[in-house]
Parts: sequence; structure tokens; C-alpha cells
Amino acid sequence: MSVIAPNFKLSGFIKAIINDAVWFLLIFSLIGFPLVMMVLFVIPMPVIDGELLTPFLAFTYLADPSRTLPIVQAFMTTDMFKIMAFPGFGFAALLAAGTIFLERKLLAKLQLRVGPFYCGKVEGILQLLGDGLKLISKEIIIPAKADKPIFWAAPVLFVASAAAFVALIPVAPGWVVADVDMGLLAVFAVIGFFPIVTILSAWSANSKFPFIGGIRALFQMVSFEIPLILSLLGVVMVTGTLNLSEIAASQSSFPWILFLPVGAIVFFITMLAELERIPFDLPEAESEIVAGWLTELSGMMYGLVQLGTYLKLYAFAALFVVLFLGGWNGPMVVPPFPMEIATEGIEIGPITAKIAGLPLFDQEMLNGIFWFVLKTVAVIIFILLPRGVFPRVRVDILLNLGWTKLIGLAFVNIFIALALVYAGVLGPGGLQ
Amino acid sequence: MADAAFLALTVITIGSSIAALEMRSLIYGSIALMGTLGGIAGFFFLLDAPFVALFQLAVYVGSIAVLILFTVMLVKRELIFKKIEDKRRKFAGIGLMLVIMVSLGAVFLDSGIKTITTDESPVDFRDIGIDFVTYYWPALILMGLILAGSVTGALILARREDVENDQRIS
Repeated sequence: MSVIAPNFKLSGFIKAIINDAVWFLLIFSLIGFPLVMMVLFVIPMPVIDGELLTPFLAFTYLADPSRTLPIVQAFMTTDMFKIMAFPGFGFAALLAAGTIFLERKLLAKLQLRVGPFYCGKVEGILQLLGDGLKLISKEIIIPAKADKPIFWAAPVLFVASAAAFVALIPVAPGWVVADVDMGLLAVFAVIGFFPIVTILSAWSANSKFPFIGGIRALFQMVSFEIPLILSLLGVVMVTGTLNLSEIAASQSSFPWILFLPVGAIVFFITMLAELERIPFDLPEAESEIVAGWLTELSGMMYGLVQLGTYLKLYAFAALFVVLFLGGWNGPMVVPPFPMEIATEGIEIGPITAKIAGLPLFDQEMLNGIFWFVLKTVAVIIFILLPRGVFPRVRVDILLNLGWTKLIGLAFVNIFIALALVYAGVLGPGGLQ
Repeated sequence: MADAAFLALTVITIGSSIAALEMRSLIYGSIALMGTLGGIAGFFFLLDAPFVALFQLAVYVGSIAVLILFTVMLVKRELIFKKIEDKRRKFAGIGLMLVIMVSLGAVFLDSGIKTITTDESPVDFRDIGIDFVTYYWPALILMGLILAGSVTGALILARREDVENDQRIS
């Protein structure tokens, strides 16, 4: 006899399932199906093989594996796919989740620990899944005197700002969610939203520790935005454009870090401060003010803020790659697609399978993604490394660094860029 | 599409500006002010001026609204504001606003704005930049000097050490 459900009856179980199924069919056919049809009436469907794709045709295609790929291809060109999956949120969230695991293992190895080890048997690879399940299943506790609307909205706004930042990053030639003509300015505008969300979240918790952490975060972010913007002007001067895709494409022969190393260093330091990473983690100083502005967040609210933080980390690393390390540019390492598969089909014993819609991916795109991800992961590791090495700095040292030294160095970088352009090394008539 | 966006932006901008004035909570008021400034950025987007729109977002929403928010959070409002609740003041304010808006509208309608063609291609921000460093360079220099002067003044004010703590409270 089962202990979990002592009154279990198989007949009752089957009856419940049939009951549910009947209700589902009834509701779907009365409400869901007309709704789907109404939505399809508005959304333009793709044309495949000269035939307009209807839902019935799509189901027919999906049942036939040799005709599935054209649908996938048509889906991959939609804006929805770009926003949700590939250069946008899904891809970034995957890299962000990988970063969390990498950080824990890397930090543990640096400090001669083992890190996550038991969850998932092999080096704790399922630790993230376990953490995610734990965060989702935990109760969300709101402080009694908190300002509830702002407190609820802040984590969502934080993730939304981070996702907007991610949407501006070009990953491969033509693979960017929002190819804005003034992409770098849009980046500055999006970065400006993080301090607002932080201070609102900190204030609305109505607690001492979050408020102290929020004020620290505000000081730090606002004062480091200025050297951040100034350090990137050098790149804008030598490329003559604000579009991130064009900046990445302009580095096909050499990355700008070779010519503007000062700007790259200033940007890297300001990046650490904007991300609240050690040695600039005063807003979250866990040995002084519990967890800083995250103290009162619990359950999935904390999870959302963590997700937003790591999305932001990915976006900053990717921005560094796009501006200074050449973006997707790199030697071609991906082998060309064997075209005889597309033209003649695959022979499996006596059967020859001809699959329409091949090749699914561009060779150039795959190569671009490979180099982009490689460089981004390298930059992310460089962002993670100081956590195992440096102690936290004091707040006056931090602000002094930002307002005097970094701004000065950023101006030096601007003058280097100007000298390179006017000496004819770069720009028209120069190397490029 | 543009009409719907225009209407939505108008509702957001005017609604949040009224909210910014009328909200009892100062924090919510400053959040509403952010909505107003963001709505104005949206208008710049509609006017094919993304350069101005993004600067509006970066400077006004990103810095000035944060400054206001921060100041509001640190200030105890009972000390600086004396509540004057008066129906007459309110109506006088609304009347004054209407008079100003009507007169400004009359000036606009009287000027040559009606003859401007609206379907011209947007002005490139590079052209504006080139104009600034060639023909309008005195204006640029003047703006730079004014900004530098105000920054220097702010630094001097911030470094004043003759104000004692007991003087500050009064």
C-alpha cells in the first residue's frame, strides 16, 4: 500500500484523466482554436516552396522529417526567434548560466577547494539545475513595510534592462536583434537604467542594509559611467561610426586593442565597477552589509536579479569583444558544408535520403559565432579572475580612482586616437 | 502605426507629468517624472531624431532623474515643504498654464511652421556635427565655456568649508 496516496484507485485515476482531457478539448475547441486562428490571421506566415504555410501544412511538414528543415529555416529568420532564442535572450541566458557554474568551479580551484561536486555525480554539473529549482520553489517573502509595487517590479525591470542591453550585441554578421544605427549610444542609454532600478529596489525594501548597498551602487555606477563613455570614444573616432555591427566589421584585419590599449584597460576597470564585481563589490559587500541591495530579495526575485546580473556580465564582455577584440572576426576554422549531401542526398544502405533546406547554417555565421563565443568566454574568465585574487577596495579609493585617474586615462586614450587618425595611421589613407 | 504610437506617447507623457505634480509620494512623483522624460525621448524617436532621443534617455532619465530620486530619498520632506492646500491656487495655476499654452500655440500657428513640408528625409546627425564645428563654431565654444564655468562653480560650491554644521540645519 502506498504511503503517499493511501486512497489511490486506478479507476479513479483514469476517470480523472479522461475528465481532464474532455474539458481540455472542449475549452480548446471553443476558445483556443478560434484564438489561434485569429492570431494566425494577423501574423504573416512564410512562403515555402511557393506555397503559403498554413497550420495544417505545417503539421504535415513536421510529420515528414525530410521537409521539416524549411520550416525551421523560415522560423529562424523571424524576429521572434532572434529576440527569444539566438542572438537574444536564450543564447545570452545560456552563456550566463554557464558563467555562474564556471565562476563557482574556477573560484574553488583558485582557492584549493572542490566547489560544486556532488550534484550530478560528475564534477557537480547539475548544481545549477538544483539551484534553479530551489529558487523557484522557495517562498517569496516581502518585508512588511516594503513599498510593494516597486519592490515587485524592480527584479523584473532589472532583467528587462539587461535583456535590452543583450539585444544590442551583434554576435555574427547580420545576427543581431536590434541593429541600431547609434548602437553605442543606445548602450549608454540602457546602462543608465541600472542605477535607477538598483536604488528603487533598495529604497522600496524599507530596510537599512539594502538602502546602504543601494546608495553605494548608485555612487559607483553613476561615477563610473563617465570614464566608461569616455573610454569608448576613441574607438568611435577611429571607426567613424556608432553602429556596433560596423565597428565589429571594421576590425577584420586587426583588433582595436592593438592601437587603443589604454582605452581597453579603462573600459575593463569601469566594467568591473559597473558589474559590482570584486574588487569593486561594495554594493554587495557580504562581510559588512549582509548582501547589500539584494538583502531583502528572496526566492525567484533573487533569482531574477542574479539572472539579470549575469546577463549584464555577458553583455559587457561581449561589448568588450565587439569594440576592442574584433567581434566575430577570426580565421576560418569551420569546414565548408559538404554540398553533395544537399544535391545528391545521404545514402544509408539501400535508402537515399534527400533532405530539403540544407545547409541550415551559413559557414560564415558558424565561424563568427565560434570566434565570438571563444573571445567572450575568455573576457568573462578575465572578469571572474579578480574575485579569487583581490580584496575589496575602500569607497573613497574607488571614487578617487573613477573621478581622477580613469577619466584622465580616458582622455589620454582619446588623444591617442586623435593622433592616430590625424597622423594618417588609421582612417582614410591609413591602414584601413 | 505612427498615429497610435503618437497617441500612446502623448497619453504617457501628459499623464505621467500630471502624476508627477499631483502624487503625494515624492518617490512616485519622481518615477512619474522619469515617465515624462522617457515619453519625450519617444517623441524624438518618432521625429526621426534617434541621436537626440538616446541622449535624452542617457542624460535625463539616466542621470538627472536619478539625481532627483536620490535627493528625494535623502531629504525629510516635512522639513522643507510647508503644505499649502488651496483650491484657488490650483485653479489659478491651471488657468495660468492654459493662458501660456494658448499664447504659445498662437505664436506657433502665426509663424511659418504650417508651410514646413513634413515628408522630408531626416537630417543626419553628422551634418549637424559638421555645421557645429564649421559655421556655428562660436556657439559651440560658448556652450563649452558655459558648461566649464558651471562645473567649476559647482566644484567650488562643493568645496566650501566655511559653512558650519549648525548653520546647515537652519
